[in-house]
Amino acid sequence: MLKSKENIIEMNNVGIRYDQGPEILSNIKLSLPKGSFHFLTGQSGAGKTSLLSLMYLAQKPSRGTISIFGQNIDFAQRSQLASFRRRIGVVFQDFRLLEHLSAYDNVALPLRVCDMDEREIKKRVTEFLTWVELDHHMYDKASTLSGGEKQRVAIARAVINRPDILLADEPTGNVDNIIAGKLMKLFVELNKLGTTVVIATHSEKIIRDFRYPRLHLQNRGLHVYYPADTSFLGDINV
Amino acid sequence: MSNPQFVPRKQELQLKSENTSLFLKIIIGIAVFIFAITLSGVLAVDSMITNWNKSILGSVTVQIIPPSDLNWEKSSAAALAMEEKAVEFLRSVNGIIKVTPLSDEQLAELLNPWLGDDVDISKLPAPRIIDIKIDTHANIDFDQLSKDLATVAPNASLDNHKLWLNKLIAFADGLKMIATTILFLVSAITSGAIFYTTNMSLGLQHSVIEILHIIGAKDTYIAQQYAKHMGIIGFIGGIIGILFAIPAIFFIGSLASAIEGGIISETSLKIIDWLFILALPLFSCLIAMVTTYYTVKQTLKKML
Repeated sequence: MLKSKENIIEMNNVGIRYDQGPEILSNIKLSLPKGSFHFLTGQSGAGKTSLLSLMYLAQKPSRGTISIFGQNIDFAQRSQLASFRRRIGVVFQDFRLLEHLSAYDNVALPLRVCDMDEREIKKRVTEFLTWVELDHHMYDKASTLSGGEKQRVAIARAVINRPDILLADEPTGNVDNIIAGKLMKLFVELNKLGTTVVIATHSEKIIRDFRYPRLHLQNRGLHVYYPADTSFLGDINV
Repeated sequence: MSNPQFVPRKQELQLKSENTSLFLKIIIGIAVFIFAITLSGVLAVDSMITNWNKSILGSVTVQIIPPSDLNWEKSSAAALAMEEKAVEFLRSVNGIIKVTPLSDEQLAELLNPWLGDDVDISKLPAPRIIDIKIDTHANIDFDQLSKDLATVAPNASLDNHKLWLNKLIAFADGLKMIATTILFLVSAITSGAIFYTTNMSLGLQHSVIEILHIIGAKDTYIAQQYAKHMGIIGFIGGIIGILFAIPAIFFIGSLASAIEGGIISETSLKIIDWLFILALPLFSCLIAMVTTYYTVKQTLKKML
């Protein structure tokens, strides 16, 4: 286990390019301490989703190194990567629910891949779906849910495993302000319990209301702004 | 549907809805059909060789040809005289249990299928035959025995049936080798079909697999779902193949037993052979599961 002051994610000179195209992210240097909370901002196409995908190990960088939980992923065994992913909760912008499954089965997925006992799964899934106010839609197919309901199922799925890292891509994009506020409070609560949180968002209101450091993607690079001092601080070294 | 008491767990991968399932069931059904027919052939040939071996084990025949340079009366008398000497000699050999010269009636009965009822065998220069039973544990040198016999009865020849049996065994071995090749090819084609179908399915299920990976599913978790699904297809395909194969085996058996001469009709499948054949759906299920499991594992290795 990591000690409290250790970095949970580290990136060094990371670059991403797709096929033979130009780099969309260049020389990214990033150190996220355990238990930190950051917003990830940038214009559309700035590379927020790509940066998040590096963090949840959905792709490897074109260059540079990434360490997660203190382990360089280039040297991690395949089974180790799966173990790392179990400690990362992800909320996707497009939810990425399995549409043919019920809300219950979608939320149960991270527990089932860990071979958890079905009775314990039922207890936890019921608890989390009640918390996101979807207990009355528990056995409805994901395809029949509204955008906001899908968003809440996706959030329940991301946090049910009590992850060490929570990565959310526009988690409040499809919900009203009241639910958005409630979701943000959940993320803050999780953060207080020790979860490292990174939230990609366009919402200036949320960034203003919840005063956490902001990782800003601009011109293929990553910059940091602190709430007390919004001046440009150069390459990130959190 | 809200809050039912029990909702069966659905598989994350929607493999049942893929239309390749029917194709694979048919392919596996055909493969198991060919496999069952070929396997029954191999087992029947094995049983045939065993029967032949049993029937000739401990049995030797001596044939005495009447001299050709005499008239038939003298020739028959010479042959009979040589038969008597040969019988006397053979009875003195260690390891020979019983020596039985065939009577004219027995010889006539043997030749009847070729010559018919109207021919008097005593008027023909038919060879004399002596049937010998030997102790199967006795170590008799047949070459030496043949030479010794020739000194007593110059027109006598010894036949321990090994020559023609060896030719038949070589022929049967050839058939078995062809059959084994067919079995190997059928297995390889089935595995190949499963391999390509699985790869195609992995492409179709790519987005689901990606999500499963992201939430921490190991490759074995995905491979097991595939293996279970393909195992069921393999079993159903196997059952279909066997349902067609059993009547076909009986039909071929009835055709074989209709052949006169008592060679092929001696073939019959034992209970253990039938158990082998009836176990083929389990075998096809196992092949499908193992092929799928390792195909999925190998393919997923290429994903992050």
